[in-house]
Order: sequence, then structure tokens, then C-alpha cells
Amino acid sequence: MIFNFARFHAALENKNKHMKNTLILFLGLFLASSLTALAQNDNISPARKQAIDSLALEKVKDLSKYISIIGSKETQFSEANRVMDRAEELFAPGAEMGVSSINSSEIAYYKVRRYFERLMALNYDRVNITWYDIQYISDLERQPDGRYVGVITIYQRFEGTSIETGMNYKDTTKKDITIYVEKKQTQIAGRTIEFWDVMLGDVRVTETSA
Amino acid sequence: MRITLITFAILFASISIVSGQGIGSPGTIKDDGRFAASTKQLNQFFRRFNGEESPDGNTRFYPGDSLYRNFPLRQGFIQILFDNQTGTTSQQLKSDFIGDVLSPVYPFYLNFHREGWFAEVQAEFFYKGRRETATLILKIQPEGLGYEWVIDAVSFPPFKNIFNKPEGDQKDFLHPLSHELGFMNLRRAFQDSKLPEAFTDSSFHPDYLTIFLYEMKQNNIRFDTVSDVKFHFFQVQGWYFEVRQFNRPGFNTGWLISNLVKLNPGDKETIEKYIYDQN
Repeated sequence: MIFNFARFHAALENKNKHMKNTLILFLGLFLASSLTALAQNDNISPARKQAIDSLALEKVKDLSKYISIIGSKETQFSEANRVMDRAEELFAPGAEMGVSSINSSEIAYYKVRRYFERLMALNYDRVNITWYDIQYISDLERQPDGRYVGVITIYQRFEGTSIETGMNYKDTTKKDITIYVEKKQTQIAGRTIEFWDVMLGDVRVTETSA
Repeated sequence: MRITLITFAILFASISIVSGQGIGSPGTIKDDGRFAASTKQLNQFFRRFNGEESPDGNTRFYPGDSLYRNFPLRQGFIQILFDNQTGTTSQQLKSDFIGDVLSPVYPFYLNFHREGWFAEVQAEFFYKGRRETATLILKIQPEGLGYEWVIDAVSFPPFKNIFNKPEGDQKDFLHPLSHELGFMNLRRAFQDSKLPEAFTDSSFHPDYLTIFLYEMKQNNIRFDTVSDVKFHFFQVQGWYFEVRQFNRPGFNTGWLISNLVKLNPGDKETIEKYIYDQN
């Protein structure tokens, strides 16, 4: 059998072409999957949502703790101010508290700091703020600017006693707290690390009939 | 139906026994099941209606999860999504609705991003020194990288009788040969008439939202507060329902169906017109 170089070359060329095409196809597929991965990077998977929920809940817990400290009569003025600073840091700029009572569904608006100051100024000798062991966390929805937004609902019980008048005031409020979720970047040892950050936003405070 | 309701009531009551759910440490108050039962957010209304979360609301079910849109779960949820204390919806109408929603052949689900639902908001404004209530219609629309609520229409009592376009042979008009005079008689419309709208096209309809925004930009309208919110749904084919918030003692609270209507041909347009066209 005579070895046909021309045919071999043609076959080899074909094989090379085929390999080249396969390589391009694989590279293409790899890039596409990478791009898809990149494109999907901003989507929030159920597992990531759970992690974000935990982080958001931690911030809400911090807020609850701070509210209890600010509202307590045992807290020194300077300490309360320091805690108000910490509490304010949990919020996105411009966040407001919208408060309504059972008797009126109309909302009174307070800047976060003003709300804390009002809480601190309450004229009770004993203030007890507690929280119900129930919360609800909404889905996260994407805003036009790319950030995600969600709402966490919690319930607070307030009890204030005035020794002089013997007056005892109690209420239970539902707090719907906005959370903003944003992907951020930071440099650690020269490497860029991405992470999801949570900030609190507007809070709707509704007195409940409970 | 009653058995399902009792099962759900027991479930909600038992949620309070589960530990480790609270936001706080020791010292938190145990919910007796009322807050667990309450439909706390409209988001929860969607999830319950669709059967996309556990009865306690702590677990979100996603496509692929065994209980995602589970039939008995939905059946239990939908029955507690009605205002069962003050609502006047008959049991028969509810059953027909639930039958359609849970149809084994073509079940209906609510979709947050799809058209067919909108919000009606009552808000207080100061207009030329007086307090006035405006009804705003808001809807969800895609924008940029996500979604936003936008104002679709406004109904504002002070605008109610501003425009009163007369029709027929008694109205003022520009005669059909006005063009031959270079429309010099426009003076009749803009100077002599108290009803310049009489000179507009027969399909003329004032855009109250534009006027409202213009007055706001002129500092004649100032926002004060929001006083009420409700939602209107047309996403279940052949049905309309209204959802509003019930803040009262008991287990039947939160965002609930307050009004249910079975739609005949043409009813949808009539209801929409009633909600939108309140001027």
C-alpha cells in the first residue's frame, strides 16, 4: 500500500482543523459559562439569600439591643448618645421612622436620630422594651439601581411606668424594617474580595391591637 | 374546609412552642401564635397564596422543593387569607374562587412582577392651605436593573369640577370656516369663555396626574402623610379581589382579602374604571 502523504496531510489538516474547532468550541463554551457565571453573579441564590437574611437579622438584633439601651432610664446620657451613634450607623442616609397608632392610621415621620432622641426623652421612671420571638423576612427585590431591597417584620413590646403618677403605659408595635442589600468590594492583602453588605432603611412602626 | 382551618390554627399556635426563632436572646416574649398566623407583609400574602413558604413563614420554598406550591399547603393558606371576621363574602363564592385557584388542571398563582395588580393609596396633602385627601394608583414596572413602584393616576377632589366640557348644539365653538380668518376668533375660547375646554376635541380627557404634579412643582401642593393602602388584583382569570390590612386582635389579621367579585364579561373594565376614574 502506497502511503498517500497528500491524503495524510489533508487528513491531518482536517484533524487539526477539527481539533482547532473543538478547542474553539470548548474555549467558547468555557468563556460563555464564565460569562454566565459572571452575569449570574449578581443573582441571589436561595443559599445566599439565607446568608443575607442572617446578616440582616443580626443588624435588626443590634438595632433592637440599641433601642432597649436608649429607652432604658438606667442608661447614662453620654452612653445613650454613644449608642445612638452606633444605632444610626446601621441605617442608610436619610432613613426615616414612620409611626402610626391604633387610633390614627396617619403616619408621623421622624428622622432616625430624632426617633431615638424621643425614645430617650420619654418621661417614665421604668422602661421595659422586649421583643416577640417571631419575625418575617420578605423576598429580596432588585431596584433600578441594582441594589436589592427587602423588609423584615418584628414585634416589640413597650412598657413604661411612672412612679410619681403610678401610670403604666403598654403597647405592642409591629416594626417593618427596610433592608438594602448591596454587593461591595474590599482589598485584602492586595486581593479584591467581594461581599454582600446590608444596611437598614425606612422603618414603619404600627401599633397593634395585641 | 373547617378541618383544614383547625389544623392551621393548631399549627400556628404550636409555632410559639418552637424555640430559637426570636430576634432576641432570653427575655423575648413567646408569641401565642397570633403573630405567626397574621399575614404580616403583602409579600407573605403572595407566598401563602402560592404555597411558597412553611406555615410558620420561616422557610421559603423554591422550585424543586417538595412542598413548593403543594396543594394541601395552598388549600390551608388560601382559606386563612380571607377577612373571615368582618367580610361579607359568602362561603359559596369563596369556595368557587378557591376551586378555580386550586384547579388541578390550570391552577392560578400570583406573580409580583406581572401586570394585573396595583395599589390604591390614600394620602393627605395641603393644597392652597387646605388639607385634602388624594387617591393615588401605583403599579410596579421594570426600570434600570430592577423594578420600581410608579404613580399611574391620581384622583384629587379639588380638581373634580375644574373641567366640565359641554357638548351638543348649546356649546360655544369655533365655526368651521375659522381657518379662513386665520383663527382670529380663538379670542372667544381663550378670553371670552369661562369654559375653554368647550373648544377641545370630543375625546378630550384631562390628565389629572400632570396637573397634580404641575401644582406640586408650583409649591401649591405639599405632601403630609399616607392614611390608607389597599391592593386590587385581577391576576386570577375571571375574578377580582381587594386586599387590605386588618389590625385587630385575634388570628385573622394582617393583609387579607376584603372583597371578592366573580367577573362577568365587561366587569373588569367597569371595576378598573371605578377605581381609576374617581374624579
